[in-house]
This record gives sequence, C-alpha cells and structure tokens, in this order.
Amino acid sequence: MHELKVAEDLSVIVLEAAKNGKLGKVSKVNILFGQLIQIVPDIFEFAFRECVRETVAENAEIDIEIIPVKMKCRGCGKDFRVMENRFVCEYCGSTDLEIISGKELFIKSIEGE
Amino acid sequence: MKNILDRNQNKANEVRSLLKSKKVVMVNLISSPGAGKTTLLERTLEEIGSKFRIGIIEGDITTDRDARRLQKFNVPIVVINTEGGCHLDSHSISKVLPSFNLDDLDVLFVENVGNLICPSQFDLGETFKLAVVSTTEGDDKPGKYPMLFREARAVLLNKTDIPYTNFKLESFKTDLRNINASVPLFEISCTKSDGLKGWFDWIEGQIFNE
Ligand SMILES: Nc1nc2c(ncn2[C@@H]2O[C@H](COP(=O)(O)OP(=O)(O)O)[C@@H](O)[C@H]2O)c(=O)[nH]1
Ligand SMILES: [Mg+2]
Ligand SMILES: [Zn+2]
Repeated sequence: MHELKVAEDLSVIVLEAAKNGKLGKVSKVNILFGQLIQIVPDIFEFAFRECVRETVAENAEIDIEIIPVKMKCRGCGKDFRVMENRFVCEYCGSTDLEIISGKELFIKSIEGE
Repeated sequence: MKNILDRNQNKANEVRSLLKSKKVVMVNLISSPGAGKTTLLERTLEEIGSKFRIGIIEGDITTDRDARRLQKFNVPIVVINTEGGCHLDSHSISKVLPSFNLDDLDVLFVENVGNLICPSQFDLGETFKLAVVSTTEGDDKPGKYPMLFREARAVLLNKTDIPYTNFKLESFKTDLRNINASVPLFEISCTKSDGLKGWFDWIEGQIFNE
C-alpha cells in the first residue's frame, strides 16, 4: 500500500501550495505516475481523499496520467518502449540500457482559485 | 514538475552521503514476508560476522521478534516499528542512525518490511538493494514486480531445498533475465546451508569494493 504514503506526501505538497498561492479551493491536481511505480489509481485516489478531508482540497479532482516504460540503448543509442517486461533493445538485442521514463511520481500542476 | 516523494528523496540523499563519508555500506533487503531475510542474516552473520563490523536495522510492523533472533550475534541492532506501514522510509532510517557508532561499522544490513512492491519505491539511502524470493512463492515474482528486479544488485532465490513446489526454475530465470540480464542470481537454501558460498564471496566482495 505505498499508495497511502505517496498520497500523504502529495496532500502535504498540495495543501502547502494552496496556502502559498492563497487558494481558497483546490479544484484539480494533475499527476504523472510511471508504470513501474505500480500505483493503483483507485486506491491512490481513495487514500488521497482521506488525507485531504475537511481541507481546501477536499473536492479536488485527481487526474492521473500513467507513463509507459521507455529505455535508451547504450549499445545503438535508440530508444524503445518496454513491452511485457522485456528489457532488451528491440533494435540490437543489447541489455545495456538506461531508463528514460516509467519511474515518475510527479505533480504536473495544481488548479484552484 | 515536482517529485511527490521529494521529502523522502532528499533525506535519502543525506543518509547516502553520511554513510559514504563514514565508509559504511548499507544493504536494503527486500522480500515478501517469510521468504527468508532473517534466516539469511543469521547464516550471513555466522559466516562473515568475524570479518566485518556489522550493524542491523530491523523493519518490523509491530514486533521485535526478528531482532531477538539475531541478538546472539552481539552486533548492534535497532528495530523500527512501522506501526502497520508497509515499508521503511529514509526519515525513519535517518532517525535511528545516531544509535550506531558509524565509525565502527563496515556494513549495515536493513531488513525491510515484508513486501515486494512498496519498499522498492522508497529510497532509504542504501548503497544497494537485494531481492530475496523463495520457491514457495511461485515463479512469477519478477514479472509482477519488475522494478525491484531491475534495481536489485543481486537476487537470492531461497528455499531450494523444498521439493514438490510448483516452482519452475527455468520460467523464473527466463522472466528474470528478460527484466535484468546481468543481475547475479544465487540459488540457496538458508536452512540446509546450500549454495551459500557464492553468496558469501559476493557480499564480501561488495563490502570490500565499496
Ligand atoms: N525449507 C526452508 N525454509 C526456510 C528457508 N529459509 C527460511 N526458511 C523458513 O521460512 C520461515 C520464514 O523465514 P524468515 O527468515 O523469518 O523470513 P523473513 O520474513 O523474510 O525474515 C522460517 O520458518 C524459516 O525457518 C530455507 O532455505 N528452506
Ligand atoms: Mg524477518
Ligand atoms: Zn540497441
């Protein structure tokens, strides 16, 4: 249930941003999760609701974008999307890879007034 | 864009640089409950306990049972109760580090809370992670938890002594190799002490090299 801890940390950031931005109400929080993080959106949203209950963010909509896993090959320099957990370059077969995306736990933006 | 786990990451970076300056290697042991982390620590302390100065952090949801199993080795042990939490984080590690005399340590083993998914998301400031899996859990773990098997510096497959499980070693290895072609895999039995020599040599090498 890492969703809970991530939701807690997110709620702290959102409420702080609302305070600094003098928002009376947070209407939407846009986030990005990498696929490798394995966050279950429903559990996450439920946990977030619990964390922001009776705050300016209690009715905020949560928009979660899941980012696919992409690697860059150190052998041939090309990048590709990882399908079915095959961390092997689809162009040259090399397994010497660098991660480009898939581990994100980012806040894109916070909307409110 | 802001990283949601910034707070954890910043503290983890702090822990990592402190340990580096003290030349302490921190090993984060990750597995499902019951895969054999504590038993592995018992075997490992028996073997390398006289060669290195070892400390242990036991992550436990509510008890200190594992810590008591390790008390006979007379090494410094600190328990972190996560009060139901499914993983350790860098703040809890940072809080207990002052209980150790870091100048008198070579290696700090951290037994994370039994769980394959959450601990791999939370950097503790460790030098490296180890994944421990056992044959009784089934052979589909790498595919289900790719991030851990991608990031672990070694994988230990424990309980190879148990016959009649439906664990298919070949299929496990194929999955693991697809995810991480080069990670060392040790097939061991901690209760029968099988296959441990390779592991001991490897971990000693890692501690020396860091
Ligand atoms: N058959 C068998 N049992 C093991 C082995 N290693 C550990 N066990 C048993 O598995 C149970 C859980 O082990 P433990 O080390 O406490 O797992 P942990 O939860 O990962 O710390 C205990 O009853 C151990 O005796 C092994 O190699 N073979
Ligand atoms: Mg244990
Ligand atoms: Zn390539």
